[in-house]
This record gives sequence, structure tokens and C-alpha cells, in this order.
Amino acid sequence: MDRNQQRPRSSILDSLGEELIGILTPVSICMFTVVLLVCLLNSDPSSSSFSSIATAAYSETDSDSPWDKLLGAFLNSLVFVAAITVATFLLVLLFYLRCVTFLKLYMGFSALVVLANLGGEISILLIDRFRFPIDSLTFSILLFNFSVVGVFAVFMSRFSILITQGYLVVIGVLVAYFFTMLPEWTTWVLLVALALYDLAAVLLPVGPLRLLVEMAISRDEDIPALVYEARPVIRDDSRLVQRRVWREQRSNVNDDDVENNVVRAEEEEEQRSEEISVPLIDSSSSSSRPETFLEGIGLGASGAIKLGLGDFIFYSVLVGRAAMYDLMTVYACYLAIIAGLGVTLMLLSVYQKALPALPVSIMLGVVFYFLARLFLEVFVVQCSSNLVMF
Amino acid sequence: MTVAAGIGYALLALGPSLSLFVSVISRKPFLILTLLSSTLVWLVSLIVLSGLWRPFLPLKANVWWPYTLLVLSSVCFQEALRFLFWKLYMRLEDVLDSFADRISRPRLFLTDKLQIALAGGLGHGVAHAVFFCLSLLPPAFGPATFYVDRCSKVPFFLVSAIIALAFVTIHTFSMVIAFEGYAKGNKVDQVIVPVIHLSAGMLTLVNFASEGCVIGVPLLYLVASLTLLHCGKMVWQRLIESRNQSGPTLR
Repeated sequence: MDRNQQRPRSSILDSLGEELIGILTPVSICMFTVVLLVCLLNSDPSSSSFSSIATAAYSETDSDSPWDKLLGAFLNSLVFVAAITVATFLLVLLFYLRCVTFLKLYMGFSALVVLANLGGEISILLIDRFRFPIDSLTFSILLFNFSVVGVFAVFMSRFSILITQGYLVVIGVLVAYFFTMLPEWTTWVLLVALALYDLAAVLLPVGPLRLLVEMAISRDEDIPALVYEARPVIRDDSRLVQRRVWREQRSNVNDDDVENNVVRAEEEEEQRSEEISVPLIDSSSSSSRPETFLEGIGLGASGAIKLGLGDFIFYSVLVGRAAMYDLMTVYACYLAIIAGLGVTLMLLSVYQKALPALPVSIMLGVVFYFLARLFLEVFVVQCSSNLVMF
Repeated sequence: MTVAAGIGYALLALGPSLSLFVSVISRKPFLILTLLSSTLVWLVSLIVLSGLWRPFLPLKANVWWPYTLLVLSSVCFQEALRFLFWKLYMRLEDVLDSFADRISRPRLFLTDKLQIALAGGLGHGVAHAVFFCLSLLPPAFGPATFYVDRCSKVPFFLVSAIIALAFVTIHTFSMVIAFEGYAKGNKVDQVIVPVIHLSAGMLTLVNFASEGCVIGVPLLYLVASLTLLHCGKMVWQRLIESRNQSGPTLR
């Protein structure tokens, strides 16, 4: 009987979890590139004169006592978070007044500044390090081309998705590398402060990000922001409801950095033709099916996951700063951040409302960094230097 | 000694795992997630162990019995954790099966379960290689190299990479043996995995003797090949069994 021949039946394991991998891959690439840059260009952090708004209140020197450094770092973070809050409220105001064109233009301008200015600086450092023979005219033409294509990729929605994704990761890498040049105590306190700010801004009723998201939902518009979108997965099973999980992010460079992180889940059952990058599946079943655990953790549904660029940047800052100490802390922090990202996506599917993306990962990352630095390193070096392993 | 040597040592420890990853694991996204969670679980186990042992470190040099205690306690803790990991995996398997029923796709095949166990074991192996070998490798990218007194014939990095390769093999395949042993209730398989792990850990203590690594490392590879053989035999038997079971019903 021909029909009873063994056909290779596809198992559910073939495609489960594809969307998560679609967002984990660029996050990992961004972190890996920042670690590579930090290791290659390992400038002595204490000698760099990097000044920005994050070091406006206090610049760390080696000779201060730990208490002074802590206090100074705390003041720095306070100033930075205050600046971000002001800028976010400004963004909310502009969005409320429907100045969307202005916001889009500003987004393109900030992308241009990051790619041209920061990208140029890092390229010069790399050329210097590797003694690469190139003349200034060629370099400026290449840099100009690179930045302009990047601005178009970020601006226009009909660009090839691979190039857009690549440029967004590059922007994340460049900004993250510059943030790792902050003094050490300031970096750690700043990361924790930003995680707390994210929590407050998204969950409190008066938080600017919550207001922004509610306005966007009520007007059914997209917030103009730098957002990374993973390639959507098309399922052939039409019973699945499309789920859209995204984080809003507006990245503003130079010294007025504003990072807003918001996570939101939306169930959509109708076609949206202007969103070329998210082909929706028409769902004909009722939406009141009981949710299983797997659909709850986002593995069951299909759809594009969007992640804001600020998340990329601050995860990479954490890992880059860990790389300045030792590679063991890098691995520990990388695993912690990935675990935090997974937990956040799970919580998102359970709560189905706007959630902050930074807190869980940053807290786990900081905890694992200090555990690895204080405990793990001594233990592992003791064992392996005597060639005792288990 | 230069970037080439550094990359060489890294590939020595992780080369086979990289090819396993590219050929088997990267094709199914769920297996990549299993690998990452498994690596995380074993990292947490290493952190807990280091937290427990921190007050007693640094141990005196040239005294080997504290290391025996260390290896013994660590192996016991990790084997207990392996059992808990299997319990968690059983819950996940139930969830996956009910999900497959709901979307009317076939349930997990035997090969799927074996692949998940392989990914879990590979996570364990990669965690070991990364923390015991790769994290100490950055000096090898520079212009010089380092020798330990007790094993003075080969550079330290080379020895640690070779030992890491043996352990990666042991961890990867003993996880497959352990999962099948716990699932089928096979006492031999359940006991053999802790025994292999403990003997491998104890064999590294032989490295304490002067030039002990000349004996210790080949014996370690003997244990690794025994693990490979046992796992291969067990998997082959299971596959034959399952084919015989499903064969006659097709007629």
C-alpha cells in the first residue's frame, strides 16, 4: 500500500521557538561585537577623558575613596535619569501635539549623528590599532556613504529588512561602546538606576512611557522610534492568532540621550496593509480559547517580535563593562541577560500589557557579575590551575 | 602564543561541540533554547558550589586531599541537580505533548526526545569548557605561553583544552544516558552516569603527582570513549526497539 509508506512527518520541535531565536540572535551579535571592540581597543578606562552628561556631576579618579566614588556615581545617575525623564516628557508632549513628522526627522538626524560621528571615531581607532593603510579622502567618502544608507534604512519602511536590521544593530553597538567608556562605578549605578526608572516609567500611571503607549493605542498609530523588528514567521496553520509583542524605543545620541523602554502585546486579527514587514494571518477562530502554557510563553503563536534599541544598548553596556574585568564575568552576564529576556517575554504573555524590558535582565546581569567576580573566579582558577576539573 | 594558537586551543576544546551545534542543534530553534537554559543551570550550579567553598579557598598548594573533598561534593551536587533537571524536563515533555495534541500535530518522537537530551548535555559540556578552559585562555592570545610545574611537557593551555574536550564528551553523552535511564527506570543507566562523572573527576586528581598528567589524561579519554560507546549502544537499541514497535502496524 503506497499510502502507508513512511512519510517523514514534521514534528512540533521543528519550528517551535523560532521567534525567540529571531530576537536572541541580534541581541547576541550586538553583545559579541561590543565585547570584541572592548577587547581590541582596550583603552585604559581611567585615562580616557570621556565626558558626557552622565559624568556632569562628578568625574571619577582613582584616588578617591570607595564612599566618594559611590556618592559621585549616585549623583551622576541622578542627573542622567533626570535628563532622560525631561526628554521623555518632551517626547510625550510632541506626540500629543501630533508633531510626528518632526519626530521622524529627529530620529533620522540622530541615526546620522551616531553613524557618522561615533562610527567615524571607532573606525579611526580601529584603523589606528591595526595600522590599516587608508587615506582620509577614501575614508570620508566611505563613511558618508555608510551613514546615508543607514539613515535611509532607518527612515524608510520599504528597505530590505536584512540591511535595516544590520544598521540597527550597528547603531546599538556604537552607542553601547561609547557608554562603556564611562567610569566603572558610574556605569553600574547608572544601569541599576535606569532599570528602576524603566520600571517606574512604564508601570506607574503617571509614567511618561505608559502615557505614550496609551496614546499610541488609542490613536492606533506607531510611535516613531528606533525599533528592531525580527523577521516574522508565517505559519500555515490558520487557527493561530497573530500576536505582536513590541518594545518602543527612541534613541537619541550625543549627550542628551533618552532611552525609553516599553513592552506591549497586541492581538490583531485584521489585515494591516501598510505594515509591509508583518504579514498577518487572518484568524477565523474565536479568541476566547483557553491559553495553554506554551502559547502563554510566546512559543506557540507566530508573529514578529519588536525590541527597542535601548534594550540592545544597555545589555551590551553591561556585558562590555564585564569584559573589562574578565571573560568569565562576560559569559555569566550574557547568560543572565538572555535568561532575563526570556523571563520578560514570558511575563509579557501572561500579563498582556505594557511591561518594561530592562529591569529583570539588568538586575540578573548585575547580580551574576558580582557573584562571578567574587566567588566563581577564585573557585575556578583554583581548580583549573591545578588541573583538577569535574 | 599569538592569535592562531589561542583560536587553536579554543577550537580544540569546543570544536566537536561546534560541529554538533551547527549540524544538529541549530536546525531546530527549540534545541538552541534548551542548550541556553542547560548552560544557565550548570552555571548556577558552579556559582552555588563556589559560594559554598569560598570560605575555604585558597587551598594550600601541594596538599591534595581537600581537592578530593571538593570534587566529591561538587559531583554529588551536580548529579542531584541532573535528576532535578530531568524532572523539569518531564513536565516540559507533558506540556509539549498536550500542545501537539491541541494543534493536531504528532507527539514528540523518540528522536526528538533524544535530541533534547543531547542539547541538554551539550549545554553542560559547553558550560564546563567555557568556565574551566576558555575563561583562562585570553593570555594565550598574546606573545608568550605558560607552563605548570606538575605538567611541564606541554603548555598549560593545551593540557586544559585537552582535558576540557574529554569532559565535554563525557557530559554531553552522559546526559543522554541519564535521561533514558530515568525515563525507562533502568538501574544500570541510572547508576553508571554518577559513576562516570565521579571517576572522571577523581582521575583529574592524578594530575597532582609530578608528571601525573601523562597517566591522568589518557585514562580520562578512556572514560570518555566508554561513555560514547555505552551511549551509542543504548541509543541504537532504543531505535531498533521503536522501529520494531511501529513497523508491524503499518501493514
